Amino acid sequence: MRKILASEQAGLVLVIFILGILLTALAGSHLDRLTGAEVNNFLNSYTLIQTATDASFFAIMAVGATIVVISGGIDLSVGSIYALAGVTMALALRALGPMGPVTTFMIGLVIALGIGIACGALNGLMVVGLRVHPFVITLGTMWILRGVAFVASHAESILVPPVLTRVAKASLGMGSSLYPVPMLTMIVVTAVGAVYLSRTVMGRHVFAIGGNAEASRFSGLRLWRIQIGVFVISGLTAGLAAFMGASFYGSASCVDATGYELYVIASAVVGGASLAGGKGSAINAMLGAVLIVLIRQSIRTLHFDQNYEWIIIGCATIIAVVLDRTSASFTARRLARAAK
Amino acid sequence: MRIRRAMRLTATLAICGLIAACGGGDKGATADRAPAGTSAPAGRGLKIAMIAKASTNPVFLSARTGAEAAAKELSQKHGIPIEIAWLTPPAEDGQVQAQRIAQAVNEGASAVLISCSDAGKVTGAINDAVGRGVPVMTFDSDAPQSSRFAFYGVDDIKTGEAVMRELAPLMGGKGKVAILAGNQNAPNLRSRVAGVKQEATKYPGISIVDTFYHIETPQDAAAEVIRVQNAYPEVSGWAMIGGWPLFTQTLLTDLDPKKVKIVAVDALPAELAYVEKGLAPVLLAQPTYKWGYVSVEKIVEKVHLKQDVPQIIPMELVKVTKENLGTWARQLKDWGFTDVPDAYLKQP
Repeated sequence: MRKILASEQAGLVLVIFILGILLTALAGSHLDRLTGAEVNNFLNSYTLIQTATDASFFAIMAVGATIVVISGGIDLSVGSIYALAGVTMALALRALGPMGPVTTFMIGLVIALGIGIACGALNGLMVVGLRVHPFVITLGTMWILRGVAFVASHAESILVPPVLTRVAKASLGMGSSLYPVPMLTMIVVTAVGAVYLSRTVMGRHVFAIGGNAEASRFSGLRLWRIQIGVFVISGLTAGLAAFMGASFYGSASCVDATGYELYVIASAVVGGASLAGGKGSAINAMLGAVLIVLIRQSIRTLHFDQNYEWIIIGCATIIAVVLDRTSASFTARRLARAAK
Repeated sequence: MRIRRAMRLTATLAICGLIAACGGGDKGATADRAPAGTSAPAGRGLKIAMIAKASTNPVFLSARTGAEAAAKELSQKHGIPIEIAWLTPPAEDGQVQAQRIAQAVNEGASAVLISCSDAGKVTGAINDAVGRGVPVMTFDSDAPQSSRFAFYGVDDIKTGEAVMRELAPLMGGKGKVAILAGNQNAPNLRSRVAGVKQEATKYPGISIVDTFYHIETPQDAAAEVIRVQNAYPEVSGWAMIGGWPLFTQTLLTDLDPKKVKIVAVDALPAELAYVEKGLAPVLLAQPTYKWGYVSVEKIVEKVHLKQDVPQIIPMELVKVTKENLGTWARQLKDWGFTDVPDAYLKQP
């Protein structure tokens, strides 16, 4: 128990829990149209899974983006990669025509992930090859990739084959209108991201170059490989989120995920990732995404004026970053005192 | 590490406090709604979730005013509480609209009223809502492949044709026309563009230089018009299938009414100066207030009175010119627009 309370995630989990209790207490209730039973407006399986589903598309991308942030970089192009991967997949599946369900699923998945990896590799190669800060490179590719999606799709909303929607909206025995697949995907991606960061040599290298790039270079790490690698992972997660998003909502368009890069970065920093690099966690990024979606949800569930949504999320991000910097400086001072 | 955890906890609790603090804001916007704990439950009243394309677009704010007015009137008439829950996202996003449909259903909405930013994205969510017993009606922009029970709005092809039909005589039946088309993703706008092009074929002296898409904000639209006018100085007519740039005053000074004529859809208060100056001698107004008003009437007929409602309910455009500027301005004021210039209200 003590170990759980002392864990890095305890604070975020506690706040999500407290927010959940507040919402349950204040959300009110309604009569279910089909069963006539009284249902709490927040604490019901539909709302909880819906909240997790809404968070899942950000959270999947946030895991990849957090790995970039830990390495000391930033990826502003994740929303555009999402749009391009979704549009390319939908266009390709439309061009290929009817196929078997497994083939359709596999081709769709491979295309979306392939586009994500290619875009991520492009970002990484440009950051390394041109020696330009990732902020600038990914700012450029954010527009380029969305532009490519726009030109390719002629700004049409392209329907994806129904088999993909059936998979993304599979109820897995939970009952009709309950769709846990995006939530489960988010959990799996977060678990893989957590294992990658904490249990593999490559993950340790990511922390190392984010903490001190020069020291890492002198210790023999190939920085260019790690930098390209983190952008590839970020692209991969954006491609996977695009696959899930296009499949779940049944279509893809070039304006999908517009502005989502900011939610993704906000999820990472609210989850405690340091934009200076060297600090962050996949689980916290997921919890950050869940918290942001929960904040959005609470604004509507409690009938607050939703025009405050952007203000609250902006404040949350600033508060998280400022407190992160303040706490880092406290820690540094404490360590300095201890060393004396 | 303990300090860091404590600070993060403090930060997130502060965020919770911030949410609570925001609850007191904008009383006017929420005045007609019951508090969360006492919202109109299914069976004892109607809770209609209204999801327009973007809360930053003034035409949807007038639709909301209409919906709230209808809810108030029909509440008294039928003796049931009718609540409008405004769930419109701040910016256009079909995915967010789909999420909000699901949220409305989860929170016990009796019906959903939506203008679809992206029909493909919301069709699944509409079908899910209907599957869970919540009827859905669309307005302004339809999702025809979905199981919505009715659509209220203009016939977009005919609207596009009307724009071109009004523009052609203003140009003397000859010249070059540019089409200003907003978001290329919206199916209703694409249909209007098709209507403009279709009608243009009837005028051999008129050619269309191109169709120009843009972000649907007044400033972006005005900037696009100026860019296009500079690139194609020969353009003498603008077929605007939405009135976005006319919400700014920029074009009043940047375009010469002797050389260029505009016909646009929509005629809200800020756009009336263009009619008076003669730059846009004809505006084809969508009575956007009625989007909300008529739709709520139809939902009440369908859900409460159990009456049959036609699947397509056509909305008629209102032609606004110098001749009826005063009448139209007074109509806008009656619909709750507070920014109608006095000068127009005094006109006959």
